Amino acid sequence: MMGQLTTIAQAEWQLWLRSRLALCTLLVFALLLASTSLVTALRMSEEHHGRTEQQAVAEETFLSQPDRHPHRMVHYGHYVFRVPPPLAMIDPGVDSVTGQSMFLEGHQQNTAMFADARASAELGGFEGLTTALVYQLFLPLLLIAIGHGLIVREREENTLVPLLAQGVTGTQLYAAKGTALAGVSLALLLPLAVMCAYAIAQGAAPLASVGVLALYALYLLVWCSFILLVSSLARSRSLALGILALFWLGTALIVPRLAVESASSAIPAPGKIETDLNMQAELREVGDGHDAGAPGFQQLKANLLAQYDVTRVEDLPVNFRGVVAQVAEADLTEVMNRHAEERMALEAGQARVAASFGWLSPVVAVAAGSRALSGTDLATHHRFLREAEAVRFDFVQGLNRVHAEQLAYSDDINRNIDAEASKRTRMSAENWKVLDAFSFEPAATSERLARASTPAAMLFAWLVMLTAIGALAARRMQP
Amino acid sequence: MSGSIRELQFLAKDRAALLWLGIAVLIASLSVFLGLREVAAQRTILDELIETDRAERAVLTGLYQDWGDVAYYTFHLTYDSPPEFAFAALGQRDTSPWKHRIRALALEGQIYETDADNPDFALIGRFDFAFAASMLAPLLLILLLHDLRSRERTAGRYELLSATAASPGSPWLARAILRVGALTLCLIVPLWAGGLLAGAGASKLALASLIVALHIGFWWGVCAVIDRFGWSSPVNLTALIGAWLALAVVVPAAIESSVEAAVPLPDGGEIMLTQREAVNDAWDLPKPATMKPFVERHPQWADYTEVGQAFEWKWYYAFQQVGDQTAEPLSRAYREGRIRRDRLAGTLAWLSPPALLTRTLQGIAGTSVTDSLAYEQRVRDFHNALRHYYYPRLFRDEVVSDASLGQRPEFRAMGE
Repeated sequence: MMGQLTTIAQAEWQLWLRSRLALCTLLVFALLLASTSLVTALRMSEEHHGRTEQQAVAEETFLSQPDRHPHRMVHYGHYVFRVPPPLAMIDPGVDSVTGQSMFLEGHQQNTAMFADARASAELGGFEGLTTALVYQLFLPLLLIAIGHGLIVREREENTLVPLLAQGVTGTQLYAAKGTALAGVSLALLLPLAVMCAYAIAQGAAPLASVGVLALYALYLLVWCSFILLVSSLARSRSLALGILALFWLGTALIVPRLAVESASSAIPAPGKIETDLNMQAELREVGDGHDAGAPGFQQLKANLLAQYDVTRVEDLPVNFRGVVAQVAEADLTEVMNRHAEERMALEAGQARVAASFGWLSPVVAVAAGSRALSGTDLATHHRFLREAEAVRFDFVQGLNRVHAEQLAYSDDINRNIDAEASKRTRMSAENWKVLDAFSFEPAATSERLARASTPAAMLFAWLVMLTAIGALAARRMQP
Repeated sequence: MSGSIRELQFLAKDRAALLWLGIAVLIASLSVFLGLREVAAQRTILDELIETDRAERAVLTGLYQDWGDVAYYTFHLTYDSPPEFAFAALGQRDTSPWKHRIRALALEGQIYETDADNPDFALIGRFDFAFAASMLAPLLLILLLHDLRSRERTAGRYELLSATAASPGSPWLARAILRVGALTLCLIVPLWAGGLLAGAGASKLALASLIVALHIGFWWGVCAVIDRFGWSSPVNLTALIGAWLALAVVVPAAIESSVEAAVPLPDGGEIMLTQREAVNDAWDLPKPATMKPFVERHPQWADYTEVGQAFEWKWYYAFQQVGDQTAEPLSRAYREGRIRRDRLAGTLAWLSPPALLTRTLQGIAGTSVTDSLAYEQRVRDFHNALRHYYYPRLFRDEVVSDASLGQRPEFRAMGE
């Protein structure tokens, strides 16, 4: 039984090795895979080093600023960079379409700027080829090319009758042919395994890296089982190839884009400008933190005067202007964060709608799972935005605290009188150390595995379903 | 004539061919529908934004007594409305900004803000007609044509058909023409329907149809070349899909890598950094260090450069301008680099007909990189107009009045 299985599978492998077409396609794909992997890995590792360095420079620059009025530093601002995780060399995910750096300053949340996609040439949509895309979209084509004839060929060449007459059952034949194709798929995972090993050496989480490999193995097995099924049911090789090509066209090219269109119409998400404009009224209610005399801060003033039991702002032990800056920033941030969270929740909802198309297309499922495991999905970008906001709020409030506690009110309001007065408001550069070092780390492995679990379950369901139908078809296999 | 009718009858009975043609109609119609819907959504967003933006400025009127405050707090919406034909090729509108909110501060700190959609969308791409025509149509044509001859060979009719035909190859040619023509129609009819609905000009539609037909023609040629080898249908199909993969995916990816290597761009972050340093350093520098480079650009204010106090608005806006001036070489290099990349890609795209078709359709639709850069230039021009509006008022220390505010430039979209 086992012997027959391996014999048939081996015969299939030998056939492929002898067929110029199969060898040719294999070779072409091997080349494509190698070159794409090399290019993606080089680019991402360059980005990794580049952005890590830029982050260090940005921090150094901030800390090395001379003595100044602390509010000047609030506007001087700071930069954070989203350093790609090691696994991004397999799947860069949204890295190229989202900005990689963000300017942080007081009173507003900026967008991430300078997405690579904006500066790259337009060439039809597939020009940004990555290792992940080759595996997701194009390896199935190779499997189709070499595997569509697996069983239907025997039927066309009238060898199915003698085979079945020799005592090989349909199920055995089906399993053997499946083993042959699965063997090729696993061999095709070799370059990915090498990349995963390299990523682990670069500091990627081993479990997540193995997860990527397992996910793609599962995905290729889904294709193997589908190809095998079609090959066993089709009347002719042409028909089998036609059906498979149609399925590929639908699942790889059409469904993912339909998923995008459905998500965008199911959950309309307002853009940044729309959100900004909509919160203007709320922001006006908070008041302008630069203007301590504004009516909005009179209550605050009264409270402070009462708290410290004094009658004049000048007599407060704290600088009222600094206190206003602190309070206004906190209120403002609360409003901005609420709107930002709303927007991110909508985007995450859109991503969920799009990912649910994984039930219709294994390509959608594997893509979502791969981005989640690699730490290059939308959720990761959102985490970057949140962490950047935390850094922003901390350093701005740290500076405002210096403003409130160390800078005398009388000096502050008289700062524009002359150069001497202005000099008195300059705080020591020692205070700039309120800035925390920022390094963007990938999410915990458990979290990434959890995010990839639904897409993996989809692929598993595909595999189980196709194998079950296949097993049924194999039992009734007719010559 | 009777020959063509016979072929038409054959086609009507060829279920596989009908399936591929049906899919083509479906895909083209769907892409046109989705494109129209996206353009309508963008228009709605813009209409709302324009309205809110106006209302927001109206709220601010009368709130500030100082031109410095007015200029600091007043934002203006700038935008690029989708052209009529944009439904067919959404192009750069996915990744590049088509709306900004700017004010009279240093522009380099504002113009790179991107109000983008969900990044997952930009990553996967939209389902527009350009995608259907450049990527999907060749595959459908391949599926239609790959077994024209080889099927007859397998069925054992090939010799007979060739021998009885009036001239060698004629039945195949008629058959192929019919299929190619049918596929082209399947694509172009939905395009015209959408185009007329959207009000796109007939000349644009005709031009787009012509290049779509040429593109289909190219792939017909590829099919014909592969057909000459006399392989079996599966081998034909494999080879043709390989050709598609090479021309639609591998070549564009190679072009992209080489264009990026050939035309390096200054790091975008550098522009921002330079501008920020220049603006912030100005606070600590003596006033003339700002006013001198400012006056070089605006000699008409040479007599007003005296800054008596530690803080004056005119000085503040002068160093905003000087910040932009300092970042200008980098900013220009970034812009010119993008233009050069686009031009080079345009030339090299001749190596990949699908890429060439996409680019051409975007060019016709007004959604190409060139159009995106043109919009950026309009934002720059408008910002410049804003500055020229505020400078006299700031430098001559004029009083804020409704009449004066009424003269403030408003952003006008192209064609308005």
